[in-house]
Amino acid sequence: MQLPVLNDAPAAKGGCSASSCGTTDNQMDSLPDSIREKVQNHPCYSEDAHHYFARMHVAVAPACNIQCHYCNRKYDCANESRPGVVSELLTPDQAVKKTMAVAANIPQMTVLGIAGPGDPLANPERTFETFRRLSEEAPDIKLCVSTNGLALPDAVEELSKHNIDHVTITINCVDPEIGAKIYPWIYWKNKRIKGLKAAKILIEQQQKGLEMLIAKGILVKVNSVMIPGVNDQHLAEVSKVVKSKGAFLHNVMPLIAEAEHGTFYGVMGQRGPTPDELQDLQDSCSGDMNMMRHCRQCRADAVGMLGEDRGDEFTLDKIEDMEIDYQAAMEKRKVIHQAIQAEMDSKRLEKAEKAQQHKQEPKLTTRPVLMAVATSGQGVINMHFGHAKEFLIYEASPEGVRFISHRKADQYCGGDTTCGDGESTLQVTIRALAGCEAVLCSKVGYEPWEQLEAAGIQPNGEHAMEPIEEAVMAVYKEMAEAGKLDDAKGSVRASA
Amino acid sequence: MAVKIIESCVNCFACEPVCPSNAIYEAKPHFLVDSKKCTECEGDFPVFQCASICPIEGAILDSLGLAINPPGSLTGIPPEKMAEAMAELQSH
Repeated sequence: MQLPVLNDAPAAKGGCSASSCGTTDNQMDSLPDSIREKVQNHPCYSEDAHHYFARMHVAVAPACNIQCHYCNRKYDCANESRPGVVSELLTPDQAVKKTMAVAANIPQMTVLGIAGPGDPLANPERTFETFRRLSEEAPDIKLCVSTNGLALPDAVEELSKHNIDHVTITINCVDPEIGAKIYPWIYWKNKRIKGLKAAKILIEQQQKGLEMLIAKGILVKVNSVMIPGVNDQHLAEVSKVVKSKGAFLHNVMPLIAEAEHGTFYGVMGQRGPTPDELQDLQDSCSGDMNMMRHCRQCRADAVGMLGEDRGDEFTLDKIEDMEIDYQAAMEKRKVIHQAIQAEMDSKRLEKAEKAQQHKQEPKLTTRPVLMAVATSGQGVINMHFGHAKEFLIYEASPEGVRFISHRKADQYCGGDTTCGDGESTLQVTIRALAGCEAVLCSKVGYEPWEQLEAAGIQPNGEHAMEPIEEAVMAVYKEMAEAGKLDDAKGSVRASA
Repeated sequence: MAVKIIESCVNCFACEPVCPSNAIYEAKPHFLVDSKKCTECEGDFPVFQCASICPIEGAILDSLGLAINPPGSLTGIPPEKMAEAMAELQSH
């Protein structure tokens, strides 16, 4: 089965890639109803849904069958938030218990994923035991899995049995020459294989697995790590190939490489992409492919809304003491999910109306502007500047408002005083907001206000509790009226 | 004749299912090899299975006590480069 082609009529290269431009986060609008139905409450697959629904990962899969240059299997740090990092490895039994405890306590949690810390399909017994039990005992939770793809063709049959309708494959290349620079070895047919040969086998398995999943009607998202100088020029090609085979969403993520992580790329000084480089690549792929821009590259044991981690509330010793009546929890969850869905539907309708209005207004001719937004969910501006651990970045332009990315306000490591370089949190935040000309939040203190202004970022607390896109557009219009958009500032990004 | 898993093991479970002799078992603080059961894969495979999937350099020793995967052999990071990076981090 070939999935329908997305964004059939691509917008101008690098331009607004959405179907209705007044607000342009309608990432899912071009999807057929059958797929939209499946992803509408999946925070990882729907940008819209990630404001409302939560996810969790259970770390039941420690073994891996390949090595990637951005991964270090030794690493575990409670302050770190990135893929492959976990604090507690779980047995399938513990994972089931934890999942049900989270589902009962965080009813908006709709998705359980297995993502490591190794490769889930290199741990088939632990992974499938977890899925089998959850599909029986907690049937209202969506199950998904992410994999490097090496063992995927052999697992497709089993995956389809467990009613898993979402799979993520990490595909960093379709060219073995490039693959050899990313993957030092694979374990394949009882041997460790290195170099080009290893990359070739891995790529073949990934592509075969992708085709087999599509043939089974399983939704496939493709993740790619953007590594400047290694695969950055190649990922547009990857995007085309995976789309032609039926993947429905492509998530290009920035390489995370610090020397202290002890990874090959970290130690060898390979840099990650800048936010601009990442955005340019995502934009250049977006004419061909539905792009995901809200990924938080979360830990293999993350719990909560994207961008938050409530794992501490559900450690093994804590869930041990929790008595969960899952039947009762399921009833409660159902009511809450329906309420959220109704709220999302009405907001979506409102957005569409606003977009229509926007189209009828005289079109501005001003340059695009990036703005940062502090939110804790529900699609509204509802967070104090100083409390925000991350900001969502939106681009406002005469075409409308579109979601670009998120930026972390604190560093990947939260151990601020012990291992920082003396820079205050405020300074780090201001640096993270580089390129933005306004920041919208519910409130902002006096000191940050002054420093933000000095950095050329206009703080704005006037739109508290308003829907994000409307508020961003309102601020954009104010800026236009005040003549702030007549200058050339931001023209570097104006091509975006 | 037996291989040995030492303290740098990160308990990733990868070796346990690939051992043809079921000689590897979970233990604290790390996985261990039952030296009575280990055959060094003789008769089954031309290479040590545990050491062919193990991601950690130096974690598995042969019967002479030598690392089957010496430093730099798996990650591709030259040992001197790793030492340099670690020294740099220590100095902070």
